[in-house]
Amino acid sequence: MTPPIDLRPYLDELERFADGQMSESEQAAFELRMEQDEQLSAAYEAYERFTADLRWVAGHETLRHRLIGLDKRLDQRQQALTRIQRRRRRTQVRWTVVAGVLAVLLGLGIWLWLRPHTMSPDEAWTYYYTPEPGLSKAATRKKGNTLLSEAMLQYRNGQYPEALQTMRRISEAGLSPDSLYYYTGVVLLRQGDAAAARSYLVRASRQPGSALTGKALYHLGMAQWRTGLLPQAQTTLRTVAADSRNPYQRQARKLLRTKLLQPQP
Amino acid sequence: MFFVFVISGAVTQPLAETLTHLRVGNQTFLIKFYQENRNLFARWARRQHQLEPAAAHELLRTVLVEFYDQVADGRLTKLPPDLRAYVYGMAAQNRQTTQTETDILPAAEAGRRRRLLGLFTQLTTDCQQVLMFFYFRGYNFEKVAGKMGFANATVARLQKSGCLRRLYDLHLRTQQAASPAGS
Repeated sequence: MTPPIDLRPYLDELERFADGQMSESEQAAFELRMEQDEQLSAAYEAYERFTADLRWVAGHETLRHRLIGLDKRLDQRQQALTRIQRRRRRTQVRWTVVAGVLAVLLGLGIWLWLRPHTMSPDEAWTYYYTPEPGLSKAATRKKGNTLLSEAMLQYRNGQYPEALQTMRRISEAGLSPDSLYYYTGVVLLRQGDAAAARSYLVRASRQPGSALTGKALYHLGMAQWRTGLLPQAQTTLRTVAADSRNPYQRQARKLLRTKLLQPQP
Repeated sequence: MFFVFVISGAVTQPLAETLTHLRVGNQTFLIKFYQENRNLFARWARRQHQLEPAAAHELLRTVLVEFYDQVADGRLTKLPPDLRAYVYGMAAQNRQTTQTETDILPAAEAGRRRRLLGLFTQLTTDCQQVLMFFYFRGYNFEKVAGKMGFANATVARLQKSGCLRRLYDLHLRTQQAASPAGS
């Protein structure tokens, strides 16, 4: 077997020659030497074979490195795309959930708003009845009746039985009948005794030329509603609702608009 | 006659031109092929060989480098009409070889180059890069210096010379080890 040629003694010259690093005269001299020196010629052939192999290897490795580099770039792009898609999906899901919750809340709100709600008699009473505020201190002072002042103070303080007691102590001579009947009636109504209140309020509403007639009619209508006299309540409150000077006109109309005064089947 | 073949149904390129480009070291064709077929190939490899995407990508790279070697060696003188089918066939063959043989048995005619490839990978990364730039890309010393960040062309020439010597020393040592009767 032929031993391999050791290129090392020739490598500098061969490399300079092959890489075009020689001057013209050097190159000519080298070419001449190659023609005459078999060893140098064989070394050149071996060098050419070696560099040809190296070119193949360099091509192979270049492609391999380029593909690996491309692979990394594609992976990074894929990861970035996946991240974006995941973020977009998460945002979509979040907004869908938010929209869903809002829709449910809205639906619930609408249902609560529109659902048929039947009030209990007490709730309806509290909601629709506008009590008499009672006479103020100044107003009672003007009337000059100390018992009335006391009764009104007790009424305003919610002490209805006491207010009623005081009202009963007022003599007919000390206070006009319409006021006496009216305030006794409203105190009884506030106390929850609508049936008793009714008779006082009827009388108050029938006092000729009284300024309290309109107000007495409202409270009478309310007392009739409270005691279940629905047709009578309707009639009384319609009168109130038709009277533009009645301070309770709006309240009477409000109640009449409901079905609360219609007889239940 | 004008031959045209199709890569992934979109890119067309004259056959003869592709081979010529590859032979003179223009690898763009294979780079593009990899870029366009990587995901498709990974799906195929998953179905056919139960390979994870990363392993499938590596297999495709190996096959494309082997394909390039065949063209560069002159083992492949005619481009297959359906390159994708050919590459997939090579991949399937590669898988079978890997499964049945543990050692790579290079073809006799490529043995010398394969050995040199093994030695080449023992060089430093910078040396590999310099030799690839000079011997494959055909860059002059000035460009090699620019690419590698060397001070000037002379430094690049000296670096390249040193790297070539290191590779040759490795090559010589291997040759001497293979034929102890020599030297």
